[in-house]
Amino acid sequence: MDRVLMKGNEALAEGALLAGCVAFFGYPITPSSEIAEYMARKLPLQSGTFVQAESELAAINMVYGGASTGARVMTASSGPGISLKSEGISFIAEAELPCLIVNISRGGPGLGGIQPAQSDYFQATRGGGHGDFHTLVLAPSSVQEMLDFAITGYDLADQYRIPVMIMAEGTLGQMMEPVTVRPKVTEFVDKPWSIQGCKGRKPNIVNTLHLDPDFLEYRNKVLAEKYELIKARETRAESFMVEDADLVVVAFGLMSRIVKKAIIDVRSQGYRVGLIRPITLWPFPAEVISQAAGHAKLFLSIEISMGQMIDDVRLAVNGRTPVDFYGRIGIIPSPEEIAQEIVARAQKEGLR
Amino acid sequence: MGKITIFAGGFGSGKSEIALNQALKLARSESDIFLADLDMVNPYFVSRQLKSVIEEAGIRLLAPEGELSFSDVPAMPRQILGIIKQDNHMIIDVAGDDVGCLALGYLRQYIIARSGYEFLLVLNPYRPFSQDLPSVRLLIEQLQRAAGLRFTGIVSNPNLMVATTADTILSGHELVRTFSLAVGLPICCLTVEKHFYTSLYPLYGALLEAIELYLKPNWM
Repeated sequence: MDRVLMKGNEALAEGALLAGCVAFFGYPITPSSEIAEYMARKLPLQSGTFVQAESELAAINMVYGGASTGARVMTASSGPGISLKSEGISFIAEAELPCLIVNISRGGPGLGGIQPAQSDYFQATRGGGHGDFHTLVLAPSSVQEMLDFAITGYDLADQYRIPVMIMAEGTLGQMMEPVTVRPKVTEFVDKPWSIQGCKGRKPNIVNTLHLDPDFLEYRNKVLAEKYELIKARETRAESFMVEDADLVVVAFGLMSRIVKKAIIDVRSQGYRVGLIRPITLWPFPAEVISQAAGHAKLFLSIEISMGQMIDDVRLAVNGRTPVDFYGRIGIIPSPEEIAQEIVARAQKEGLR
Repeated sequence: MGKITIFAGGFGSGKSEIALNQALKLARSESDIFLADLDMVNPYFVSRQLKSVIEEAGIRLLAPEGELSFSDVPAMPRQILGIIKQDNHMIIDVAGDDVGCLALGYLRQYIIARSGYEFLLVLNPYRPFSQDLPSVRLLIEQLQRAAGLRFTGIVSNPNLMVATTADTILSGHELVRTFSLAVGLPICCLTVEKHFYTSLYPLYGALLEAIELYLKPNWM
């Protein structure tokens, strides 16, 4: 069958398998568990390895080890589990090891709930762990993109030797849509840095302890230069009806799809509204937003959080245009609710 | 004693939508209908989300209550043991896969004590792990073992949600028919969205059951 009806979590797992993922290390947590379950069923049939670790800490350190060998490995969790994995993610970032880390997000703080949220945005885009580092963060908006971005994620991870995070709302992990399963297309890059046995050459060493301050600073500069390169080359965003927009909504992930529906509705009522959807949450598409600030009279950041991405929108707009906010937690607002919020602001600003 | 109809199957096979439709349909002609939502694996896309629609139709909902309705813990609705021993028509909607069917293990002795029960396997051949005979055999074996009950029939539910066409249904149902023959379980109905009903009726007749998708968000 060329099309399969998949949950977002299943599609993501299938995408990782298509990209050549050979090992999954994780600890189950709702609403991400179907990724682990899918891998547990499929990986052993493909001579791969599935390990349900004793804890999130163990799982991320298994990813650290697995990625050191140059193999494509991954883990998946939700906010509370990603918090536990943060130390390991910092190590992996400094060791410059490619891997895939998935956050199927639920509402926090603390244990929070199991319902969808985007409130791990700060955690995802500011590194989450200690030290000067970033992960490259992709935010899919459909079940098909869950599959596609897993493949893209591995390619980017290998190309830049960086941990790539895919962040999706719990609902996107749980909902079902038809998916076209792509053939395996991945090209593997050479990994001369990896640890695969050193017969006949100097050993490669994976180490993140740098006691010499000069070397420590050098390492930080290496990472900072790499991050600048990624910002220049890999920043991704989708623009929808932005060209003539007075009001520009910024929204990512599943939320962006709902905003699109709302925009079609409010456009028919005569409001010139557009959407900028960051596809990479880090690097953030500041340039696209800055350009739109040339003509937009109001920005509106819509998030399933109490307001996190709005900081990045404000930085990109740099004071030229006001930036407003609308957010929920644990609930995906309907297109009708979003349309109302947009219209209320447009009317207040006299935009029509 | 009244009937018990149980819908089980793989994750995302369509159990909750079908259970909801079945309960609402029965409520038009019968009283004393109970819908038991025993999905305790996670709270996404579960029939208890439609609590108000269910109760307005005169159906009594048995489901994890209060804060537990949003949980992923084994919180069996506390009244169920009392109600399952009484004379009524109960529709049971469990979570997917064998973990979902474990809830039935707890109720098994009361289900068997009823004069007749239907334990139906909901099959969508477009879902992973339901696309070939070995997978379907494995699914049946796992669900039966977890539930401690043997299936009495199959609900054929071939669809790709928004991308479903008449062809999707035709070829998907054909596949389900081959599974049905191989495992020796009759197909008791073929469920399709309402707008396919009229055009497919000449082909399938009374086997066809029109359903409405209550849990699908309006933005999909």
